[in-house]
Amino acid sequence: MSFLRKLGKDPFGIFIFIALFLFIIGPMISVILWAFSVQWRYPSLLPTQWGLKFWSQTFKRADILQALPLSLFLSLIVTLISAVICLPAAYAFARLKFRGSQFFLLSFLATNAFPRFGLYITIAVIFLKLNLVSTVLGVVLIQLVNTLLFMIWIPTAAFKGVDKSLEEAALDVGASRFRVFWQITLPQVIPAISAALMLTFVGTFYETQGAILIGLPGVRTMPVLMLSLINNQLVVQYGAILSLTLWIPSLLMLFFARRALSGKSLAAGFGV
Amino acid sequence: MSTSTLTKKEQSRTKSNWIAYLLISAPFFLMVLLIVYPASLSIIRTLRPEVNGTRRFGLENYLAFFSDHTSVTNLVFTLWSTGAIIALLFIICLPIALYLRFTESRIAHFVQGLALFPLFVPGIILAYALIRFIGPNGLLETFIEVTTGWQGYHTPYLKPSGSIIGLVWEGIPITVLVLTAGLAQVPDNLIEAARDVGAGRLQIFFQIILPLIGRSMLIAFALNFLGVIGAFTLPYLLGPAAPQMMGPFMQRTFYNVLNPDAAETQAVITFLLSSFVGFLYVRSAVRQQKEEA
Repeated sequence: MSFLRKLGKDPFGIFIFIALFLFIIGPMISVILWAFSVQWRYPSLLPTQWGLKFWSQTFKRADILQALPLSLFLSLIVTLISAVICLPAAYAFARLKFRGSQFFLLSFLATNAFPRFGLYITIAVIFLKLNLVSTVLGVVLIQLVNTLLFMIWIPTAAFKGVDKSLEEAALDVGASRFRVFWQITLPQVIPAISAALMLTFVGTFYETQGAILIGLPGVRTMPVLMLSLINNQLVVQYGAILSLTLWIPSLLMLFFARRALSGKSLAAGFGV
Repeated sequence: MSTSTLTKKEQSRTKSNWIAYLLISAPFFLMVLLIVYPASLSIIRTLRPEVNGTRRFGLENYLAFFSDHTSVTNLVFTLWSTGAIIALLFIICLPIALYLRFTESRIAHFVQGLALFPLFVPGIILAYALIRFIGPNGLLETFIEVTTGWQGYHTPYLKPSGSIIGLVWEGIPITVLVLTAGLAQVPDNLIEAARDVGAGRLQIFFQIILPLIGRSMLIAFALNFLGVIGAFTLPYLLGPAAPQMMGPFMQRTFYNVLNPDAAETQAVITFLLSSFVGFLYVRSAVRQQKEEA
Protein backbone atom coordinates (compact mmCIF):
# COMPACT_ATOMS: atom_id res chain seq x y z
CA MET A 1 0.00 0.00 0.00
CA SER A 2 2.78 2.42 0.92
CA PHE A 3 4.59 1.34 -2.24
CA LEU A 4 1.57 2.30 -4.30
CA ARG A 5 1.39 5.65 -2.56
CA LYS A 6 5.03 6.24 -3.40
CA LEU A 7 4.38 5.43 -7.04
CA GLY A 8 1.58 7.99 -7.08
CA LYS A 9 4.07 10.68 -6.15
CA ASP A 10 6.01 10.22 -9.34
CA PRO A 11 3.56 10.42 -12.23
CA PHE A 12 6.25 11.57 -14.68
CA GLY A 13 8.45 8.59 -13.82
CA ILE A 14 5.53 6.22 -14.31
CA PHE A 15 4.73 7.82 -17.65
CA ILE A 16 8.33 7.43 -18.87
CA PHE A 17 8.45 3.88 -17.58
CA ILE A 18 5.28 2.81 -19.35
CA ALA A 19 6.17 4.57 -22.60
CA LEU A 20 9.69 3.10 -22.63
CA PHE A 21 8.38 -0.31 -21.66
CA LEU A 22 5.96 -0.39 -24.60
CA PHE A 23 8.56 0.88 -27.06
CA ILE A 24 11.57 -1.12 -25.86
CA ILE A 25 10.05 -4.36 -24.56
CA GLY A 26 7.03 -4.58 -26.88
CA PRO A 27 9.03 -5.83 -29.89
CA MET A 28 10.86 -8.36 -27.70
CA ILE A 29 7.56 -9.77 -26.43
CA SER A 30 6.35 -10.42 -29.96
CA VAL A 31 9.53 -12.39 -30.72
CA ILE A 32 9.09 -14.54 -27.62
CA LEU A 33 5.44 -15.22 -28.45
CA TRP A 34 6.29 -16.21 -32.03
CA ALA A 35 9.08 -18.53 -30.92
CA PHE A 36 6.68 -20.61 -28.82
CA SER A 37 3.77 -20.65 -31.21
CA VAL A 38 2.80 -23.32 -33.67
CA GLN A 39 0.03 -21.29 -35.20
CA TRP A 40 -0.87 -17.62 -34.83
CA ARG A 41 -3.77 -16.43 -36.93
CA TYR A 42 -4.51 -12.75 -37.28
CA PRO A 43 -6.30 -11.07 -35.49
CA SER A 44 -5.74 -13.14 -32.36
CA LEU A 45 -3.85 -11.25 -29.67
CA LEU A 46 -2.00 -14.42 -28.61
CA PRO A 47 -0.84 -17.46 -30.60
CA THR A 48 -3.75 -19.67 -31.56
CA GLN A 49 -1.67 -22.78 -30.89
CA TRP A 50 1.35 -22.98 -28.60
CA GLY A 51 4.18 -25.44 -28.88
CA LEU A 52 7.80 -26.23 -29.56
CA LYS A 53 7.22 -27.89 -32.90
CA PHE A 54 9.41 -25.49 -34.85
CA TRP A 55 12.42 -25.64 -32.51
CA SER A 56 13.63 -29.03 -33.66
CA GLN A 57 12.90 -28.08 -37.27
CA THR A 58 14.96 -24.93 -36.94
CA PHE A 59 17.98 -26.69 -35.57
CA LYS A 60 17.84 -29.40 -38.18
CA ARG A 61 18.41 -26.87 -40.95
CA ALA A 62 21.77 -27.45 -42.60
CA ASP A 63 22.50 -23.72 -43.06
CA ILE A 64 22.05 -23.06 -39.34
CA LEU A 65 24.14 -26.05 -38.31
CA GLN A 66 26.89 -24.68 -40.50
CA ALA A 67 26.66 -21.03 -39.55
CA LEU A 68 26.53 -21.39 -35.78
CA PRO A 69 29.95 -23.06 -35.27
CA LEU A 70 31.44 -20.70 -37.86
CA SER A 71 30.14 -17.64 -35.99
CA LEU A 72 31.39 -18.91 -32.63
CA PHE A 73 34.79 -19.72 -34.14
CA LEU A 74 35.07 -16.30 -35.81
CA SER A 75 34.12 -14.44 -32.62
CA LEU A 76 36.62 -16.47 -30.62
CA ILE A 77 39.46 -15.89 -33.10
CA VAL A 78 38.77 -12.16 -33.44
CA THR A 79 38.57 -11.70 -29.67
CA LEU A 80 41.77 -13.66 -29.19
CA ILE A 81 43.74 -11.72 -31.81
CA SER A 82 42.36 -8.44 -30.56
CA ALA A 83 43.36 -9.28 -26.97
CA VAL A 84 46.83 -10.46 -27.92
CA ILE A 85 47.67 -7.28 -29.81
CA CYS A 86 45.67 -4.72 -27.80
CA LEU A 87 46.23 -5.65 -24.17
CA PRO A 88 50.02 -5.17 -24.22
CA ALA A 89 49.42 -1.86 -25.98
CA ALA A 90 46.95 -0.85 -23.27
CA TYR A 91 49.57 -1.65 -20.64
CA ALA A 92 52.10 0.50 -22.50
CA PHE A 93 49.66 3.40 -22.79
CA ALA A 94 48.83 3.31 -19.11
CA ARG A 95 52.18 2.54 -17.50
CA LEU A 96 55.09 3.43 -19.79
CA LYS A 97 56.19 6.94 -20.62
CA PHE A 98 57.04 7.53 -24.26
CA ARG A 99 56.97 10.34 -26.73
CA GLY A 100 53.66 10.71 -28.55
CA SER A 101 51.73 8.33 -26.29
CA GLN A 102 48.74 10.74 -26.19
CA PHE A 103 48.71 10.92 -29.97
CA PHE A 104 48.89 7.18 -30.48
CA LEU A 105 46.16 6.53 -27.91
CA LEU A 106 43.87 9.10 -29.50
CA SER A 107 44.62 7.81 -33.00
CA PHE A 108 42.42 4.80 -32.24
CA LEU A 109 39.44 7.14 -32.18
CA ALA A 110 39.72 6.98 -35.97
CA THR A 111 37.76 3.71 -35.73
CA ASN A 112 34.77 5.73 -34.50
CA ALA A 113 35.25 8.88 -36.53
CA PHE A 114 34.25 7.40 -39.90
CA PRO A 115 30.74 6.38 -40.87
CA ARG A 116 31.07 2.63 -40.45
CA PHE A 117 29.55 1.26 -43.62
CA GLY A 118 31.32 3.76 -45.87
CA LEU A 119 34.59 2.66 -44.30
CA TYR A 120 33.74 -0.99 -44.89
CA ILE A 121 33.08 -0.25 -48.57
CA THR A 122 36.55 1.25 -48.98
CA ILE A 123 38.05 -1.81 -47.24
CA ALA A 124 35.97 -4.11 -49.42
CA VAL A 125 37.32 -2.46 -52.57
CA ILE A 126 40.86 -3.32 -51.48
CA PHE A 127 39.91 -6.82 -50.30
CA LEU A 128 38.29 -7.45 -53.68
CA LYS A 129 41.64 -6.93 -55.37
CA LEU A 130 43.48 -9.02 -52.79
CA ASN A 131 40.95 -11.86 -53.22
CA LEU A 132 40.03 -11.58 -49.55
CA VAL A 133 36.30 -11.24 -50.25
CA SER A 134 34.37 -14.38 -49.33
CA THR A 135 37.23 -15.69 -47.16
CA VAL A 136 37.46 -16.27 -43.42
CA LEU A 137 40.62 -14.19 -43.21
CA GLY A 138 38.85 -11.23 -44.82
CA VAL A 139 35.99 -11.43 -42.33
CA VAL A 140 38.40 -11.72 -39.38
CA LEU A 141 40.27 -8.62 -40.53
CA ILE A 142 37.19 -6.47 -41.04
CA GLN A 143 35.72 -7.56 -37.73
CA LEU A 144 38.94 -6.64 -35.95
CA VAL A 145 38.32 -3.00 -36.91
CA ASN A 146 35.36 -2.86 -34.53
CA THR A 147 37.27 -4.20 -31.58
CA LEU A 148 40.37 -1.99 -31.41
CA LEU A 149 38.93 1.03 -29.59
CA PHE A 150 37.17 -0.96 -26.85
CA MET A 151 40.06 -3.36 -26.40
CA ILE A 152 42.56 -0.55 -25.97
CA TRP A 153 40.69 2.20 -24.18
CA ILE A 154 38.86 0.16 -21.53
CA PRO A 155 41.97 -1.78 -20.40
CA THR A 156 44.09 1.39 -20.57
CA ALA A 157 41.68 3.09 -18.16
CA ALA A 158 41.87 0.00 -15.94
CA PHE A 159 45.70 -0.14 -15.90
CA LYS A 160 45.77 3.57 -15.09
CA GLY A 161 43.51 2.96 -12.11
CA VAL A 162 45.84 0.39 -10.52
CA ASP A 163 46.98 1.32 -7.04
CA LYS A 164 50.70 1.90 -7.47
CA SER A 165 51.54 2.03 -3.75
CA LEU A 166 50.72 -1.67 -3.44
CA GLU A 167 53.09 -2.51 -6.29
CA GLU A 168 55.87 -0.42 -4.81
CA ALA A 169 55.42 -1.99 -1.41
CA ALA A 170 55.74 -5.45 -2.96
CA LEU A 171 58.84 -4.42 -4.91
CA ASP A 172 60.36 -3.03 -1.68
CA VAL A 173 60.02 -6.34 0.11
CA GLY A 174 61.83 -8.01 -2.78
CA ALA A 175 59.15 -9.38 -5.08
CA SER A 176 60.17 -9.72 -8.71
CA ARG A 177 58.60 -7.45 -11.33
CA PHE A 178 56.93 -10.41 -12.95
CA ARG A 179 55.47 -11.57 -9.66
CA VAL A 180 54.20 -8.07 -8.88
CA PHE A 181 52.50 -7.90 -12.25
CA TRP A 182 51.00 -11.36 -11.89
CA GLN A 183 49.84 -11.15 -8.31
CA ILE A 184 49.12 -7.46 -7.75
CA THR A 185 48.59 -5.59 -11.01
CA LEU A 186 46.64 -8.22 -12.93
CA PRO A 187 43.98 -9.01 -10.31
CA GLN A 188 43.07 -5.32 -10.17
CA VAL A 189 42.45 -5.06 -13.92
CA ILE A 190 40.80 -8.44 -14.47
CA PRO A 191 37.20 -7.15 -14.13
CA ALA A 192 37.65 -4.41 -16.73
CA ILE A 193 39.58 -6.67 -19.09
CA SER A 194 37.01 -9.42 -18.89
CA ALA A 195 34.34 -6.84 -19.61
CA ALA A 196 36.29 -5.73 -22.68
CA LEU A 197 36.75 -9.35 -23.78
CA MET A 198 33.09 -10.06 -23.34
CA LEU A 199 32.03 -6.93 -25.22
CA THR A 200 34.37 -7.84 -28.03
CA PHE A 201 33.19 -11.43 -28.25
CA VAL A 202 29.50 -10.56 -28.18
CA GLY A 203 29.95 -7.56 -30.48
CA THR A 204 31.78 -9.70 -33.02
CA PHE A 205 29.24 -12.49 -32.75
CA TYR A 206 26.51 -10.09 -33.86
CA GLU A 207 28.58 -8.09 -36.33
CA THR A 208 26.54 -8.00 -39.53
CA GLN A 209 27.69 -5.16 -41.79
CA GLY A 210 31.27 -6.28 -42.35
CA ALA A 211 30.33 -9.95 -42.51
CA ILE A 212 27.72 -9.44 -45.22
CA LEU A 213 29.98 -7.21 -47.31
CA ILE A 214 33.17 -9.30 -47.08
CA GLY A 215 31.85 -12.74 -46.18
CA LEU A 216 29.25 -13.39 -48.88
CA PRO A 217 28.87 -15.65 -50.68
CA GLY A 218 31.43 -18.04 -49.19
CA VAL A 219 31.39 -17.18 -45.50
CA ARG A 220 27.90 -17.04 -44.01
CA THR A 221 27.79 -16.12 -40.33
CA MET A 222 24.72 -16.44 -38.14
CA PRO A 223 23.59 -12.79 -38.43
CA VAL A 224 24.02 -12.89 -42.21
CA LEU A 225 21.98 -16.09 -42.37
CA MET A 226 19.38 -14.44 -40.16
CA LEU A 227 19.26 -11.55 -42.64
CA SER A 228 18.34 -13.87 -45.49
CA LEU A 229 15.82 -15.74 -43.30
CA ILE A 230 14.13 -12.42 -42.57
CA ASN A 231 14.04 -11.43 -46.21
CA ASN A 232 12.63 -14.69 -47.58
CA GLN A 233 10.59 -15.72 -44.59
CA LEU A 234 8.53 -18.75 -45.34
CA VAL A 235 8.13 -19.78 -41.73
CA VAL A 236 7.96 -16.91 -39.26
CA GLN A 237 8.99 -19.13 -36.36
CA TYR A 238 12.49 -19.82 -37.76
CA GLY A 239 13.43 -16.17 -37.35
CA ALA A 240 11.86 -15.94 -33.90
CA ILE A 241 13.56 -19.06 -32.59
CA LEU A 242 16.86 -18.02 -34.07
CA SER A 243 16.52 -14.54 -32.56
CA LEU A 244 15.92 -15.97 -29.11
CA THR A 245 18.83 -18.41 -29.42
CA LEU A 246 21.19 -15.82 -30.83
CA TRP A 247 20.25 -13.52 -28.01
CA ILE A 248 21.62 -15.88 -25.32
CA PRO A 249 25.25 -14.59 -25.40
CA SER A 250 24.05 -11.03 -25.05
CA LEU A 251 21.72 -11.89 -22.17
CA LEU A 252 24.51 -13.78 -20.42
CA MET A 253 26.67 -10.71 -20.78
CA LEU A 254 23.90 -8.54 -19.36
CA PHE A 255 23.64 -10.91 -16.42
CA PHE A 256 27.34 -11.40 -15.64
CA ALA A 257 28.78 -8.07 -16.60
CA ARG A 258 26.34 -5.76 -14.86
CA ARG A 259 28.88 -4.79 -12.27
CA ALA A 260 31.98 -4.73 -14.45
CA LEU A 261 30.14 -2.78 -17.10
CA SER A 262 29.58 0.29 -15.03
CA GLY A 263 28.58 3.34 -17.01
CA LYS A 264 32.10 4.67 -16.65
CA SER A 265 33.96 1.81 -18.29
CA LEU A 266 31.35 1.71 -21.03
CA ALA A 267 31.74 5.41 -21.66
CA ALA A 268 35.52 4.90 -21.97
CA GLY A 269 34.84 2.73 -24.98
CA PHE A 270 33.05 5.56 -26.76
CA GLY A 271 35.81 8.04 -26.04
CA VAL A 272 33.56 10.08 -23.74
CA MET B 1 76.50 9.53 -26.71
CA SER B 2 77.48 6.15 -25.38
CA THR B 3 75.12 4.35 -23.06
CA SER B 4 77.65 4.39 -20.24
CA THR B 5 77.32 8.16 -19.78
CA LEU B 6 73.56 7.91 -19.21
CA THR B 7 72.34 7.69 -15.66
CA LYS B 8 70.59 4.54 -14.64
CA LYS B 9 67.18 6.23 -14.68
CA GLU B 10 67.67 7.57 -18.19
CA GLN B 11 68.78 4.16 -19.31
CA SER B 12 65.64 2.47 -18.08
CA ARG B 13 63.61 5.25 -19.70
CA THR B 14 65.17 4.69 -23.12
CA LYS B 15 64.61 1.00 -22.72
CA SER B 16 60.95 1.37 -21.78
CA ASN B 17 60.54 3.81 -24.67
CA TRP B 18 61.65 1.17 -27.08
CA ILE B 19 59.45 -1.49 -25.50
CA ALA B 20 56.44 0.83 -25.48
CA TYR B 21 56.67 1.46 -29.22
CA LEU B 22 57.00 -2.26 -29.78
CA LEU B 23 53.92 -2.96 -27.67
CA ILE B 24 51.69 -0.44 -29.42
CA SER B 25 52.97 -1.11 -32.92
CA ALA B 26 50.72 -4.09 -33.73
CA PRO B 27 47.33 -2.44 -33.08
CA PHE B 28 48.55 0.86 -34.49
CA PHE B 29 49.63 -0.66 -37.80
CA LEU B 30 46.45 -2.68 -37.98
CA MET B 31 44.47 0.53 -37.50
CA VAL B 32 46.45 2.32 -40.19
CA LEU B 33 46.15 -0.65 -42.53
CA LEU B 34 42.42 -1.19 -42.06
CA ILE B 35 41.20 2.38 -41.61
CA VAL B 36 43.57 5.14 -42.61
CA TYR B 37 44.94 3.38 -45.70
CA PRO B 38 41.64 2.24 -47.29
CA ALA B 39 39.92 5.55 -46.51
CA SER B 40 42.70 7.70 -47.98
CA LEU B 41 43.18 5.40 -50.93
CA SER B 42 39.49 5.67 -51.78
CA ILE B 43 39.53 9.44 -51.50
CA ILE B 44 42.48 9.62 -53.90
CA ARG B 45 41.16 6.96 -56.29
CA THR B 46 37.75 8.59 -56.64
CA LEU B 47 39.48 11.87 -57.48
CA ARG B 48 41.51 10.15 -60.20
CA PRO B 49 38.97 8.64 -62.59
CA GLU B 50 40.00 6.57 -65.55
CA VAL B 51 39.42 8.46 -68.78
CA ASN B 52 40.44 6.86 -72.10
CA GLY B 53 42.55 4.27 -70.33
CA THR B 54 44.62 6.63 -68.16
CA ARG B 55 44.05 7.83 -64.62
CA ARG B 56 44.23 11.55 -63.98
CA PHE B 57 42.80 14.02 -61.49
CA GLY B 58 39.22 14.99 -62.18
CA LEU B 59 35.76 15.26 -60.64
CA GLU B 60 34.03 12.90 -63.09
CA ASN B 61 33.08 10.38 -60.38
CA TYR B 62 31.43 13.05 -58.28
CA LEU B 63 29.74 14.72 -61.23
CA ALA B 64 28.33 11.32 -62.15
CA PHE B 65 27.00 10.88 -58.61
CA PHE B 66 25.37 14.29 -58.44
CA SER B 67 23.84 14.06 -61.90
CA ASP B 68 22.23 10.72 -61.09
CA HIS B 69 18.70 11.21 -59.82
CA THR B 70 18.62 8.06 -57.66
CA SER B 71 21.94 8.87 -55.97
CA VAL B 72 20.90 12.42 -55.10
CA THR B 73 17.49 11.30 -53.86
CA ASN B 74 19.15 8.70 -51.63
CA LEU B 75 21.61 11.26 -50.29
CA VAL B 76 18.87 13.76 -49.47
CA PHE B 77 16.77 11.00 -47.92
CA THR B 78 19.72 9.92 -45.74
CA LEU B 79 20.27 13.46 -44.48
CA TRP B 80 16.58 13.96 -43.85
CA SER B 81 16.32 10.68 -41.91
CA THR B 82 19.44 11.50 -39.91
CA GLY B 83 17.99 14.86 -38.88
CA ALA B 84 14.69 13.28 -37.88
CA ILE B 85 16.38 10.49 -35.90
CA ILE B 86 18.66 12.85 -33.97
CA ALA B 87 15.81 15.26 -33.23
CA LEU B 88 13.64 12.38 -31.94
CA LEU B 89 16.50 11.01 -29.86
CA PHE B 90 17.01 14.33 -28.11
CA ILE B 91 13.26 14.80 -27.57
CA ILE B 92 13.05 11.33 -26.00
CA CYS B 93 16.37 11.11 -24.17
CA LEU B 94 16.84 14.57 -22.71
CA PRO B 95 13.74 14.30 -20.47
CA ILE B 96 14.81 10.79 -19.44
CA ALA B 97 18.34 11.94 -18.60
CA LEU B 98 17.02 14.95 -16.66
CA TYR B 99 14.62 12.70 -14.79
CA LEU B 100 17.39 10.23 -13.92
CA ARG B 101 19.64 13.04 -12.72
CA PHE B 102 17.20 14.87 -10.48
CA THR B 103 14.69 12.37 -9.18
CA GLU B 104 14.96 10.40 -5.98
CA SER B 105 12.14 8.11 -6.96
CA ARG B 106 12.69 4.36 -7.00
CA ILE B 107 11.21 4.15 -10.46
CA ALA B 108 14.37 5.79 -11.81
CA HIS B 109 16.20 2.51 -11.38
CA PHE B 110 13.78 0.74 -13.72
CA VAL B 111 13.70 3.62 -16.18
CA GLN B 112 17.50 3.50 -16.44
CA GLY B 113 17.43 -0.25 -16.92
CA LEU B 114 14.92 0.07 -19.74
CA ALA B 115 16.80 2.92 -21.41
CA LEU B 116 20.08 0.95 -21.42
CA PHE B 117 18.46 -2.36 -22.37
CA PRO B 118 18.86 -1.86 -26.16
CA LEU B 119 22.66 -2.05 -25.65
CA PHE B 120 22.11 -5.75 -25.17
CA VAL B 121 19.91 -6.28 -28.20
CA PRO B 122 21.88 -6.77 -31.41
CA GLY B 123 20.62 -4.91 -34.48
CA ILE B 124 19.72 -8.06 -36.35
CA ILE B 125 17.46 -9.30 -33.55
CA LEU B 126 15.94 -5.85 -33.16
CA ALA B 127 15.12 -5.74 -36.87
CA TYR B 128 13.30 -9.05 -36.66
CA ALA B 129 11.50 -8.06 -33.46
CA LEU B 130 10.33 -4.75 -34.92
CA ILE B 131 8.99 -6.43 -38.06
CA ARG B 132 6.89 -8.73 -35.89
CA PHE B 133 5.83 -5.83 -33.64
CA ILE B 134 5.07 -2.93 -35.97
CA GLY B 135 4.83 -4.88 -39.21
CA PRO B 136 1.62 -5.79 -41.03
CA ASN B 137 -0.62 -7.94 -38.80
CA GLY B 138 1.99 -7.48 -36.08
CA LEU B 139 1.46 -7.44 -32.34
CA LEU B 140 0.88 -3.68 -32.25
CA GLU B 141 -1.76 -3.74 -34.96
CA THR B 142 -3.49 -6.71 -33.35
CA PHE B 143 -3.36 -5.06 -29.95
CA ILE B 144 -4.87 -1.82 -31.25
CA GLU B 145 -7.59 -3.67 -33.11
CA VAL B 146 -8.50 -5.98 -30.24
CA THR B 147 -8.58 -3.26 -27.59
CA THR B 148 -10.10 -0.36 -29.54
CA GLY B 149 -11.60 -1.93 -32.64
CA TRP B 150 -9.83 0.66 -34.81
CA GLN B 151 -8.71 -0.76 -38.13
CA GLY B 152 -6.83 2.14 -39.68
CA TYR B 153 -3.31 1.02 -38.70
CA HIS B 154 -0.71 1.68 -41.39
CA THR B 155 2.54 -0.17 -40.82
CA PRO B 156 5.79 1.84 -40.92
CA TYR B 157 7.62 -1.34 -42.04
CA LEU B 158 9.44 -0.80 -45.38
CA LYS B 159 8.61 2.89 -45.19
CA PRO B 160 10.96 5.75 -44.23
CA SER B 161 9.50 5.74 -40.71
CA GLY B 162 10.47 2.05 -40.38
CA SER B 163 14.20 2.68 -40.44
CA ILE B 164 13.73 5.82 -38.33
CA ILE B 165 11.95 3.86 -35.59
CA GLY B 166 14.65 1.17 -35.64
CA LEU B 167 17.55 3.59 -35.47
CA VAL B 168 15.91 5.64 -32.70
CA TRP B 169 15.40 2.44 -30.71
CA GLU B 170 19.04 1.57 -31.14
CA GLY B 171 20.28 5.09 -30.34
CA ILE B 172 18.49 5.52 -27.00
CA PRO B 173 21.09 3.92 -24.67
CA ILE B 174 24.14 5.81 -25.94
CA THR B 175 22.25 9.09 -25.95
CA VAL B 176 20.94 8.58 -22.41
CA LEU B 177 24.38 7.40 -21.24
CA VAL B 178 26.22 10.40 -22.66
CA LEU B 179 23.62 12.94 -21.52
CA THR B 180 23.45 11.49 -18.00
CA ALA B 181 27.25 11.61 -17.80
CA GLY B 182 27.07 15.30 -18.72
CA LEU B 183 24.27 16.03 -16.26
CA ALA B 184 26.19 14.31 -13.46
CA GLN B 185 28.70 17.15 -13.70
CA VAL B 186 26.06 19.82 -13.04
CA PRO B 187 26.57 20.72 -9.37
CA ASP B 188 23.53 20.45 -7.08
CA ASN B 189 24.30 23.66 -5.21
CA LEU B 190 24.19 25.67 -8.42
CA ILE B 191 20.65 24.52 -9.06
CA GLU B 192 19.66 25.07 -5.44
CA ALA B 193 21.10 28.58 -5.51
CA ALA B 194 19.13 29.39 -8.65
CA ARG B 195 15.98 27.98 -7.07
CA ASP B 196 16.58 30.09 -3.96
CA VAL B 197 16.59 33.28 -6.00
CA GLY B 198 13.32 32.23 -7.56
CA ALA B 199 14.34 30.77 -10.94
CA GLY B 200 11.70 28.61 -12.56
CA ARG B 201 12.28 25.11 -13.95
CA LEU B 202 12.56 26.26 -17.55
CA GLN B 203 14.88 29.08 -16.60
CA ILE B 204 17.15 26.68 -14.70
CA PHE B 205 17.17 24.31 -17.63
CA PHE B 206 17.96 26.86 -20.33
CA GLN B 207 20.30 29.15 -18.40
CA ILE B 208 22.19 26.77 -16.12
CA ILE B 209 21.91 23.16 -17.23
CA LEU B 210 21.99 23.54 -21.00
CA PRO B 211 25.25 25.57 -21.17
CA LEU B 212 26.92 23.06 -18.82
CA ILE B 213 26.04 19.97 -20.85
CA GLY B 214 27.03 21.44 -24.21
CA ARG B 215 29.88 19.01 -24.70
CA SER B 216 27.78 15.97 -23.87
CA MET B 217 25.11 17.12 -26.30
CA LEU B 218 27.78 17.53 -28.95
CA ILE B 219 29.14 14.01 -28.36
CA ALA B 220 25.63 12.55 -28.37
CA PHE B 221 24.94 14.38 -31.63
CA ALA B 222 28.20 13.28 -33.24
CA LEU B 223 27.92 9.60 -32.20
CA ASN B 224 24.35 9.40 -33.48
CA PHE B 225 25.12 11.28 -36.68
CA LEU B 226 28.04 8.98 -37.50
CA GLY B 227 26.05 5.95 -36.44
CA VAL B 228 23.07 6.74 -38.65
CA ILE B 229 25.06 7.80 -41.73
CA GLY B 230 27.14 4.62 -41.41
CA ALA B 231 24.20 2.31 -40.64
CA PHE B 232 23.34 -0.67 -42.79
CA THR B 233 21.40 -3.47 -41.12
CA LEU B 234 18.35 -1.59 -39.83
CA PRO B 235 17.71 0.63 -42.88
CA TYR B 236 18.31 -2.42 -45.10
CA LEU B 237 15.73 -4.54 -43.30
CA LEU B 238 13.19 -1.96 -42.11
CA GLY B 239 13.44 0.89 -44.62
CA PRO B 240 11.99 1.31 -48.10
CA ALA B 241 13.64 0.02 -51.28
CA ALA B 242 13.44 3.50 -52.77
CA PRO B 243 14.58 5.97 -51.64
CA GLN B 244 17.35 4.12 -49.84
CA MET B 245 19.68 5.26 -47.11
CA MET B 246 23.36 5.42 -48.07
CA GLY B 247 24.28 2.15 -46.27
CA PRO B 248 21.98 -0.18 -48.22
CA PHE B 249 22.51 1.91 -51.34
CA MET B 250 26.30 1.39 -51.19
CA GLN B 251 25.87 -2.31 -50.50
CA ARG B 252 23.56 -2.67 -53.52
CA THR B 253 25.98 -0.77 -55.73
CA PHE B 254 28.90 -2.90 -54.58
CA TYR B 255 27.29 -6.31 -54.40
CA ASN B 256 24.28 -6.37 -56.74
CA VAL B 257 25.22 -3.78 -59.36
CA LEU B 258 28.88 -4.92 -59.10
CA ASN B 259 30.22 -1.41 -59.47
CA PRO B 260 32.87 -0.95 -56.77
CA ASP B 261 34.03 2.37 -58.25
CA ALA B 262 30.60 3.94 -57.83
CA ALA B 263 30.26 2.40 -54.35
CA GLU B 264 33.62 3.90 -53.45
CA THR B 265 32.45 7.36 -54.55
CA GLN B 266 29.31 6.96 -52.46
CA ALA B 267 31.43 5.95 -49.47
CA VAL B 268 33.70 8.98 -49.82
CA ILE B 269 30.61 11.20 -50.02
CA THR B 270 29.45 9.81 -46.66
CA PHE B 271 32.96 10.60 -45.34
CA LEU B 272 32.69 14.18 -46.55
CA LEU B 273 29.21 14.55 -45.08
CA SER B 274 30.38 13.45 -41.68
CA SER B 275 33.92 14.82 -41.77
CA PHE B 276 32.97 17.91 -39.79
CA VAL B 277 31.02 15.90 -37.21
CA GLY B 278 33.86 13.36 -37.01
CA PHE B 279 36.29 16.21 -36.43
CA LEU B 280 34.10 17.66 -33.64
CA TYR B 281 33.87 14.24 -32.01
CA VAL B 282 37.62 13.64 -32.09
CA ARG B 283 38.39 17.17 -30.89
CA SER B 284 36.01 16.86 -27.99
CA ALA B 285 37.45 13.47 -27.00
CA VAL B 286 41.00 14.86 -27.27
CA ARG B 287 40.11 17.75 -24.95
CA GLN B 288 38.53 15.37 -22.48
CA GLN B 289 41.69 13.25 -22.45
CA LYS B 290 43.93 16.25 -21.96
CA GLU B 291 41.85 17.50 -19.05
CA GLU B 292 42.03 14.11 -17.40
CA ALA B 293 45.77 13.80 -17.95
